[in-house]
Amino acid sequence: MAIETLVLGAGQDIGKSCVVVTINGKRIMFDCGIDTRFFDSPTHRYPDFTLISPNRDFNSALSCIIITHFHLDHIGALAYFTEVCGYNGPIYMTYPTKALAPMMLEDNRKVMVDRLGEEELFSADQIAECMKKVIAVNLRQTIQVDEDLQIRAYYAGHVIGAAMFYAKVGDAEMVYTGDYNMTPDRHLGAAQIDRLRLDLLITESTYATTIRDSRYAREREFLKAVHKCVSSGGKVLIPTYALGRAQELCILLEDYWERMKLKVPIYFSAGLTIQANVYHKMLISWTSQKIKDRFSKHNAFDFKNVKKFERSMIDAPGPCVLFATPEKISSGFSLEVFKHWAVSENNLVSLPGYFVGETMGHKLTSNKQAKDDADTKIDIRCQVHQLAFSPHTDSKGIMDLVNFLSPKHVILVHGEKHKMATLKDKIHSELGIQCYDPANNETIYIPSTHYVNAETSDTFVRSCLKPNFTFQKCSSVDICNSTTIDKSLMPELQVEDERVAEGVLVVDKGKKAKVLHQDELLLMLGETKQDS
Amino acid sequence: MAEQQDDTSEQPLSLRTLCTMRSFLLHPSTSKRTVSSIVETLTRTPTHHTLKLLSDAAAHRPDLGPSAVVLPADSSPHLTVEVLASSLTDLHLDDARFASLCFGDSVAARVWMLRNAGSKFEVRPGLLLAVLLGFTKDPYPYVRAAALEGLAGFCERGGESKDVELVEACYRRAVQLLRDMDPCARLSAVRVVASWGLMLASSNSDMKTYWSNDVFAKLCSMARDMNMKVRVEAFDGLKKLEIVSEDLLLQSLSKRVSGHGKQKQALGQSTSEQFVILATSVAGAIVHGLEDEFFEVRKSVCKSLRTLTRLSAEFAREALDSLMDVLNDGSTVVRLQALETMHHMAISGRLKLHEKNLHMFFGALVDDNWDIRHTDRKILKVVKLNNLALFKSSIDRLLGNLDSYPQDEADVFCTFSHLGRNHKKFVSLIIKDTFEEIEAALEGNVEFNSARIAALLILSISAPLLNADVGRIPAVMFSYAVTFLGRIYNAFSDIMDRDSLLACLCEKSRSTEYSATNIDLVEGEQQFPLLECDAPNFASNEVINSKIDSHITREPKEVANYQIEQQRSEYDEVIKFTNYILAKPHDMWQRIQSGHANEVLRSLRCLKELTTMKFDSLGSGGADALAFTLLYLRVIELLSEVWEHLLPAKRLCTLGIGKLEFKLGKLERRVKELISRFTGFSAQDELNVLELMLLTYALRMCKDEIIGMNHTIKRLSTLYLRVESILKESSALPSNFIVELGKVLSGTSINGASCNLLQFDASLEFFSLKQFLFHGQIKHVKAELNISNNDLEHPLPFVSGLPVGVPCEIILHNISSESRLWLRMALDDGFIHHLFLDLDRFEGSEEVTKFTFVAPFYRTAEAICLTLKICIGLECLFENVSPVQRFGGPKRELALLCKEKQVFLYKVNKD
Repeated sequence: MAIETLVLGAGQDIGKSCVVVTINGKRIMFDCGIDTRFFDSPTHRYPDFTLISPNRDFNSALSCIIITHFHLDHIGALAYFTEVCGYNGPIYMTYPTKALAPMMLEDNRKVMVDRLGEEELFSADQIAECMKKVIAVNLRQTIQVDEDLQIRAYYAGHVIGAAMFYAKVGDAEMVYTGDYNMTPDRHLGAAQIDRLRLDLLITESTYATTIRDSRYAREREFLKAVHKCVSSGGKVLIPTYALGRAQELCILLEDYWERMKLKVPIYFSAGLTIQANVYHKMLISWTSQKIKDRFSKHNAFDFKNVKKFERSMIDAPGPCVLFATPEKISSGFSLEVFKHWAVSENNLVSLPGYFVGETMGHKLTSNKQAKDDADTKIDIRCQVHQLAFSPHTDSKGIMDLVNFLSPKHVILVHGEKHKMATLKDKIHSELGIQCYDPANNETIYIPSTHYVNAETSDTFVRSCLKPNFTFQKCSSVDICNSTTIDKSLMPELQVEDERVAEGVLVVDKGKKAKVLHQDELLLMLGETKQDS
Repeated sequence: MAEQQDDTSEQPLSLRTLCTMRSFLLHPSTSKRTVSSIVETLTRTPTHHTLKLLSDAAAHRPDLGPSAVVLPADSSPHLTVEVLASSLTDLHLDDARFASLCFGDSVAARVWMLRNAGSKFEVRPGLLLAVLLGFTKDPYPYVRAAALEGLAGFCERGGESKDVELVEACYRRAVQLLRDMDPCARLSAVRVVASWGLMLASSNSDMKTYWSNDVFAKLCSMARDMNMKVRVEAFDGLKKLEIVSEDLLLQSLSKRVSGHGKQKQALGQSTSEQFVILATSVAGAIVHGLEDEFFEVRKSVCKSLRTLTRLSAEFAREALDSLMDVLNDGSTVVRLQALETMHHMAISGRLKLHEKNLHMFFGALVDDNWDIRHTDRKILKVVKLNNLALFKSSIDRLLGNLDSYPQDEADVFCTFSHLGRNHKKFVSLIIKDTFEEIEAALEGNVEFNSARIAALLILSISAPLLNADVGRIPAVMFSYAVTFLGRIYNAFSDIMDRDSLLACLCEKSRSTEYSATNIDLVEGEQQFPLLECDAPNFASNEVINSKIDSHITREPKEVANYQIEQQRSEYDEVIKFTNYILAKPHDMWQRIQSGHANEVLRSLRCLKELTTMKFDSLGSGGADALAFTLLYLRVIELLSEVWEHLLPAKRLCTLGIGKLEFKLGKLERRVKELISRFTGFSAQDELNVLELMLLTYALRMCKDEIIGMNHTIKRLSTLYLRVESILKESSALPSNFIVELGKVLSGTSINGASCNLLQFDASLEFFSLKQFLFHGQIKHVKAELNISNNDLEHPLPFVSGLPVGVPCEIILHNISSESRLWLRMALDDGFIHHLFLDLDRFEGSEEVTKFTFVAPFYRTAEAICLTLKICIGLECLFENVSPVQRFGGPKRELALLCKEKQVFLYKVNKD
């Protein structure tokens, strides 16, 4: 028996996560994303689904689809796959993902159709149609997809509703992590999973070589910068993505505001962000422990100091903090505000995350000398603070998870090629676990566990119930390696329980395998000897 | 009883008989003889049912003693263990029996034996350890966990094994089990690694560092376990370490594995080699712990940093940066713990504040939580500041604190006084500016902020106050200070009281040796090394002590409650008043004894009214004292009422037995309340109160109360033992009444047959009422319970059969963290449900804790509406009478801390 892993996307790459795993005859597609960097090329944008089934009969080829979270590089191609390619089977995702997915898909569709002027591949109604096929699951709820296939979701942090998925067919077990975070942030908890006997772990590796500092240090710098700015009467602009980051930073600020008794107003710009707050408020059980604990007293997403921002307030005097979309300051409201505020050295722009491409965000972070922007004709004098917050785990987190789960094989996806190779070697050398980093459209075969059912004799069962341990003296290996403590000559006391070791597997011709107690076997052998 | 009815197998005793026996056994008034004959019958026929009955019997009748329960050798281990579990007090189980029970095939029995071996019954250590170690290999996770628990318990009880090989084997086995599949086994393994690892380390002084490092690394490797409890346990384990290599400690603060170990050859080759092996598992453990999702973990890390920072100065310096960042934590408990740890570091001289820390450290002074600000100031009181700039900014931030939180004044002043005392040289460096500011303010040229001036005065005078050498402080400063005396004397309350301070200030201000013009400051003396600067210099107190007479009453330690200090005068008045009232009953006792009860009762009622009036007119200052006084008066009132009817002349008339019984019950309840609802009694106070309780029980005995006699005697003796132990500790002399009662009790056997009621009667003659002296320590334990938006018109909805959550807003006053609180929910039909309130889960101080708790109520019956009576109770020292509450409820009697609240519920349909 083997587990076959076909990587359709995010192999040695970030973008369009899509992995098809075949275990004991069941085929599961984990994630179905698009590559947002290739908006102009549909062939690059979607995973190559024909590799699953050359005759495009996806319904018989796949047992189910599992979506880990609502980011476009994990869910973007779902509507295309169901509505255009015609997949009709079950789709599993967590409740929050199901709630937020339509919004994301619709946004994406609009961008493609309206902005890029592309031909419409599917309509808004078709997205709704696609969502009807989705079965929502809860954390740690074991779902029997069919007679043999079991799946279970575990908390993954990262974004609200993100989950790692465990799948089991027969005796073969595996986990697909999706994106996860091993350290909690202000609104989400850390990934949480049981210790399982896994044959395969497929993990993301966005930060395959980075080790991040303490979260506290990042928060402190951010708060210090913001506090300094507002206390000297400046305005703070935080261009941010609507879901997740805005809430996290806002909780951080709220908490600080409460403790320091600050009265400076905090604003949220557009309706989308307010709506996202509503979602977070409802999905409280998917947030971090602290927010859950305090929920009975106060919903952390009920921001006391947050008000809605009106366009007329842009030039109003006095300090304030504003969250505005989009995060790249490429267009829209954040750019509009930026144009007004960037001219004063009192003000601060706080940029969460990193940017690629020709956007204002990129210019600000990459080259701080370029204070005069030629395209937009803005005299940029404001302070710039860059936040190093990321919802992905760092390389230490990946190592810790792999170490905790100790699977037999690891496959790395969702990362940069050379960094993944480094991590692959590290996992192999430090943890002694076989590790792979396949490229897109590559297939990996790994052996899987298969248990043989055997009957047991009563004597053996009885002996298993009775504890039967012995103490032995033998030298241990790890002590021998040490040169300084020469204890290799001194035997070490160890305890052994002989119960199971006393069983003997007997396979008679044409009969089912059977486990006998060793005494029984001797008896039986004695009998056969007499017979002959 | 259900378990007996569903059985149909043949047995010598019919189910009916067994049922009857059970009722007999459970009924409290069944005579001892009947019980023992039933037990005898039962033990003769050991079956499943009889054993079950025996275990019930043992549970309900502790007086039965384990000797009555003979354990048939062939009974199933599971039941035998159950019998043991409920009857154990001082059971002797021989080693063979122990082993056979462990090796039997009942897993539950095995778990129980492993868990309780050594604690509830003695087993030869050699055998015990072998069995425990052996069972760490058991295929059942719970057996493994229990075996590990047993090992950890062995260490906790101070057990020690001389067999190093065995210790190492246990430790290694536990290390293996750190990677167990089951979280509960991992949890126990962590505990064993911590305790046995330390035992291993201490067994060989040469290897101590090696093993300690190993333990440290193993515990650190659990910092990323997925189970919160395992993580907490791992960090708790770090607290016990006595020695860890510095490079490993530093590694725990950095997620990147560093090459430290290789460079530090000085530490010896062995350490660096070990470092290479262990570094990966240690890397970043503390940092991970500090940014953990669960506050329990973060708190535990902060707590262990307290011990770890003591191990290495370098580590303390690095860890401080991480600790400072914790001050931004969302949870108050964690922030507070971080500050407490810093306080400890400051005391042990490990706290070195740097410029980069200041933003965070002083940020805590503006925190809106009083405890946080207080603890931050507590650190400032003991910390040594390295340079003048730090000192100056501390002063600025403290003054800022004073502006934004005027209610902190007393504590801020106190901090200033300590700051001045600890940094004499810095004070003298800034004295010129300070003096000018104060001078200008007091001359009236500038509009001044009196709190600020007072603070600066305290800072300036605090150091010279302790020293004969006044330094460069102008004498006129002391005169200014006199004018602020009322406001500032609290700042010095740890070294002298108001009068002594005045005397001291007057004397200093008379010294003409130094005047304002004498200030000649060396400007530019910025970086003043703190070498000669003295830490809190209590040695010099003696100078003052000798000068000022014996007025100094307080210990040179922090006075705990600043609010009380602030309201001193009002409070003093209350104390005076209280003591005046409390002295009265003592004087009245003679009158009561001579039969003038009515007259006494009248004056008692007057006193009560007086107290109530005072109570209403006052703020929170003396509420505790007055509450106590009121209750005490009520007790005396009841006592005199009861006493009157027990006087020989009146014994048979006036009150019917029922009425007297009622009064006695009331008296008992009130006295219990006196004991349970107040804390902070001195030994003498406690004796007085306990004596009242003894008296109440003795009164009960005299009032020929046959039914509950055994009970009363038992309680009397328990209580008496307590009194005796207090007497022993405090070396106070017992009153005549206690002595007499002791004699009576020693002559009375438990079953009461030989008890002579008249003796109790006689002992009463010796009772006399003691005078209570109130000295401010007594606190009223109380609770406020509120269920908002709930009344008859606005009931809470429920679905019958499903639990309903009742949102309770609770405020607790003066409840120590050790006390066990219960939420009692009662239905009209007599159904009572108890819910345990885990105080650790709520944030707050001992004085006041405020939180909302959603209490689940499960018994939502098929009714249109329900009325639930909720109230909060505190487990007190009296044992429970009714056995019903054994199941999950409180083990002892509850003292109710608030009035019962009615909660109205109505049913909604499921659709």
